[in-house]
Amino acid sequence: MLWFAGIDIGSVNTKVALFRDGGPPHFHMIQSGANYRAAAEKALDEALGKAGLSRNDIVAIMATGSGTPRVDFGTDQLSDISCSARGVHSFFPGVRTVIDVGGQASRAIRVNDEGKVINFAVSERCAAGSGRFLQIIARVLQIDIKDAGTLSLKSSNPVIYTTGCAVFGESEAISRVAEGTPKEDILAGVQNAIASKIANLIDRVGMEKDCAMVGGGALDIGLVKRTEERLGITLLVPENPQLMAAFGAALYASHPQ
Amino acid sequence: MYFAGIDIGSTMTKIVIMDDEINAQVIGPTGAEHRHLANKVMEEALSKAGIAFDELTYVVATGYGRINVPFADKQITEITCHAKGVSSIFPSARTVIDIGGQDAKGIKIAGGKVVNFVMNDKCAAGTGRFLEVIADALGLKLKEMGELSLHSKEKVRISSTCTIFAEQEVVSKIADGVPIEDILAGLHEAIASRVFHMAEKMKIEKDVAMTGGVAKNVGMVKALEDQLGFPVLIAREPLLTGAIGAAILGKELVIKALEKGEAIEKGARLLEAASFFK
Repeated sequence: MLWFAGIDIGSVNTKVALFRDGGPPHFHMIQSGANYRAAAEKALDEALGKAGLSRNDIVAIMATGSGTPRVDFGTDQLSDISCSARGVHSFFPGVRTVIDVGGQASRAIRVNDEGKVINFAVSERCAAGSGRFLQIIARVLQIDIKDAGTLSLKSSNPVIYTTGCAVFGESEAISRVAEGTPKEDILAGVQNAIASKIANLIDRVGMEKDCAMVGGGALDIGLVKRTEERLGITLLVPENPQLMAAFGAALYASHPQ
Repeated sequence: MYFAGIDIGSTMTKIVIMDDEINAQVIGPTGAEHRHLANKVMEEALSKAGIAFDELTYVVATGYGRINVPFADKQITEITCHAKGVSSIFPSARTVIDIGGQDAKGIKIAGGKVVNFVMNDKCAAGTGRFLEVIADALGLKLKEMGELSLHSKEKVRISSTCTIFAEQEVVSKIADGVPIEDILAGLHEAIASRVFHMAEKMKIEKDVAMTGGVAKNVGMVKALEDQLGFPVLIAREPLLTGAIGAAILGKELVIKALEKGEAIEKGARLLEAASFFK
């Protein structure tokens, strides 16, 4: 069988997609940890094991993600922006704008009708625009990041963050907790702050519908809702938004555009 | 006549009591759990000066927590107070670079008055907070960080601007075996460069005085002097310039009122806890 692998070595998680023409893909995700090379090897082997395959079944591996340049892995390497766009395009061919909220950076990507990137903007200088801000606040609130979205939907009075900085935002959250502000209002406030950073990115590249949200941040339904409110549009979210770049990488491995 | 200046910063509360010269000075933490304790710092200052609260002719509050101090007669911004305080200590100063626990400011002064200022309170990078976060990550005391950085032979450039990403970068550099003093020298350079470029927007003029808690860090002083290309002036207690300025401004107000034969407008003057959440 001719299988192709896409591996997305992210700052937080490493994701693998195994793909072949005419069959369902396989996905696997592990934490990246401190050693990206080891994480990539482990993620691939575990993904193959789950699918009942071996490395001999793999024709080509496309590596992507922020950890990729630091490791010599894969048959080829490509930027996560291209891979994310390609992955989203395969699910939603009508999408022209992709918002990718990762653990360490967010991206706004404009794509054409073939799923190719025509413009993009990245917020990588500041943690406040990424999933990292949510993780920090979830830790302050002592909740699982997975529960943050559902909990935040209960908010009726989101905290207005006076700062756009994740470090100051953390202090502000601590003060709010001390004051007795409900956790959902603090979370909703953080989501609004991130949504406003996302809106700034969108302003830089322009927006064309349809618009999709992917990356680990898209798993947070609260963040999706706040971003929709901020942008005044409905966002398409694929079933496994955090796996889109890995899937796009696997597509590139099998059919280079 | 006694005058008090109280500077409630994000991290520290500073109080100065003076007549013709400084009678008492106290620096206590503002910290979350001490937020309501500005009155305790005041009581300590009064007892050091050996006077009763009623003997204070005028009390001026400044700093980020200056609003809602129930025992102050007047609030004046910290920019104005720093300019006044620095001018009283260093009459030749034309630029003040103040790096506090949560912000950084550049102030241009002439004749003890503010002519221009720039400020960053939006981003932790380029403030004392950046150093605190890194000190925590490395298990070092703030004081040690500056001293250690002076031993650097080959400073390492820190590529991250964001405090959170810089913290990660530092941890991974330590794991790569980079000497800690070289990393620290790079960190100090990163902050100094950020603050320098902010202040340079209003064209830095000599002499430059450095104030705020970060001026106590020898590594930061050196890093800022490297950016400027000349030495800076530092008061014996660089945390107190805002409080000193506040006390002097209070004194000037009272003297002016007395000369004109006008009444002095005073606050309600309750020596009780300040509230920050009203």
